[in-house]
Amino acid sequence: MTEVLLLGRRAVREVIRLPAATIPTLFIPLFFLAVNIGQISKTFPSSTPFLHGQGYVGFQLPVSLMFAVCTATSGLALVTEIDLGYFDKLLVAPIRRASIIFGRLAADLVRGLAVATLVLLVALAFGMKMRSGAGGALVLIVLAALWGVAYAGIGMLIALRTRNVQATNASFLIFFPLLFLTPNFVPFNRLTPLMEALARANPVSYVIEGLRSLVLEGWVIHKLAICLGVIVLTGIVLTWLSVRAIETYDR
Amino acid sequence: MSSTASVPRSGAHSPQDGGAAVAIRARGLRRTFKGGVDAVRGIDLDVAEGEVFGFLGPNGAGKTTTVRMLCTLLPPTAGSAEVLGVNVLDDPAAVRRRIGVALQEIGLDPLQTGRELLELQCGLYGITGAAARTRTQELLELVGLVEAAERATKTYSGGMKRRLDLASALVHSPGVLFLDEPTTGLDPASRVTIWEEVRRINAQGTTVFLTTQYLEEADQLCNRVAIIDKGLIVAQGTPEELKAQLGHDVVSVALAGADIDATKAAIGELDGLERVVGERETLDLYLEDGPASIAEIVRRLDSAQIRVGAISLARPSLDDVFLRATGRRLEGQEDAQQVQAP
Repeated sequence: MTEVLLLGRRAVREVIRLPAATIPTLFIPLFFLAVNIGQISKTFPSSTPFLHGQGYVGFQLPVSLMFAVCTATSGLALVTEIDLGYFDKLLVAPIRRASIIFGRLAADLVRGLAVATLVLLVALAFGMKMRSGAGGALVLIVLAALWGVAYAGIGMLIALRTRNVQATNASFLIFFPLLFLTPNFVPFNRLTPLMEALARANPVSYVIEGLRSLVLEGWVIHKLAICLGVIVLTGIVLTWLSVRAIETYDR
Repeated sequence: MSSTASVPRSGAHSPQDGGAAVAIRARGLRRTFKGGVDAVRGIDLDVAEGEVFGFLGPNGAGKTTTVRMLCTLLPPTAGSAEVLGVNVLDDPAAVRRRIGVALQEIGLDPLQTGRELLELQCGLYGITGAAARTRTQELLELVGLVEAAERATKTYSGGMKRRLDLASALVHSPGVLFLDEPTTGLDPASRVTIWEEVRRINAQGTTVFLTTQYLEEADQLCNRVAIIDKGLIVAQGTPEELKAQLGHDVVSVALAGADIDATKAAIGELDGLERVVGERETLDLYLEDGPASIAEIVRRLDSAQIRVGAISLARPSLDDVFLRATGRRLEGQEDAQQVQAP
């Protein structure tokens, strides 16, 4: 556990000392939030049933949160360390290799909490209200950050398998189909049948639905439970794959 | 597989070193990479505790692959290796606790300060709190980086980075220190500083396994050396033993445009001439008594009206050892034309 804390603290320090790695990841979510609201808010006024009396910004916030927390930052940090040789230094230390992964995930959690808070504040500035109150806002931030932690496994997995910066960076692109094959602009029942089928098969949809429920509906326990379940399951699978990749690295 | 000059071969102690325990032992160590590339093709090694062992070879010879296998970073395809009595495959964690490693690529986190990096390294080896801070300070003083300790390592010069990397390999006072080309890319002054550090570390009882492509480095630092080429150990022993195998003196004739075959023919047979090695612009004559033969060499060249650039006398070097073992020079790596003595 000590080694995870030590490596986590180092990774968090890295996030703080290299804001250039985090700030650009905020540009896209804030840009999408602003553009989508600007373009679609007249189409979907607050009287639209699925908005539950709120402006469109509340509907879009979870999508922006997904953009903000799903990055390849940890994977890139890992592949950079492989390139620099520091990764070997860690591998040759008498620690469990998995702690290298968990140390990175600790940084993802801190980064996720920070960027989710920022994106939420921007949405509040656009006039959004949290139907679930301050407690709901806190849960929203934590769930979004946890999703970022769960998703980070993809970047680390690609980093460990390819050891290539470009390939790891491109792993971010995987998230685009995952994000857009969801009820990101309208609810499930307003999608075409094919898109609805795809969206319902996409686990990211349920994370968005859970987060959205906190903003628009209040405490909808079954949606939150499914959302948390998807996050935990995704986290377990991707983290397990990353741990397996590091355990078998060069073996 | 390898030519050996009285290297300890078996048992828990090295006969050569008067019974010193064996720090590193490898038997038939082999690594084949995907695609069938045989980087290391079955090597035997015995390194006695407390010695500085040089592992010498050109780029791509298999030095780093061997080090990575001994450090548990890479599993061998075949054969076995033990470090301080622990098998690298059976208990890699125990091996890691006993060794320090400074690999060819300097393993530093550029965003951490020197002090943070060493304190983290202490923590990874179970040294925490005040003990970690004390050990960090000791090491910073040891490698002369106290003043730079609060700066991010990305601002360090190459020599400073190498020294910090060395310090980070020493946090837990390892029994065996692996240094993979520790001076490659450093300026001469930094190289000498690293040599001094290696001597100091070794004087404290740490066994040092040092890979290098610099013959001078091996000559300066190592009690014994092994020469690896194309994945095989081609010579092994103390630098003096290896040089002694070559003969006594080397008289080098700088051809300066003279025909190599005509020059060889003109010199012909000499008393104590063991062999002649011709390479590019130089003809090297390995002789029992170089000074006594120079006058005769000059006379014969003069008689044959062959004008040469210069004639020099030298004791055999590790470069000559390498040349004899592999058929080419280590530095420059040009193929040499090796000629048997007439």
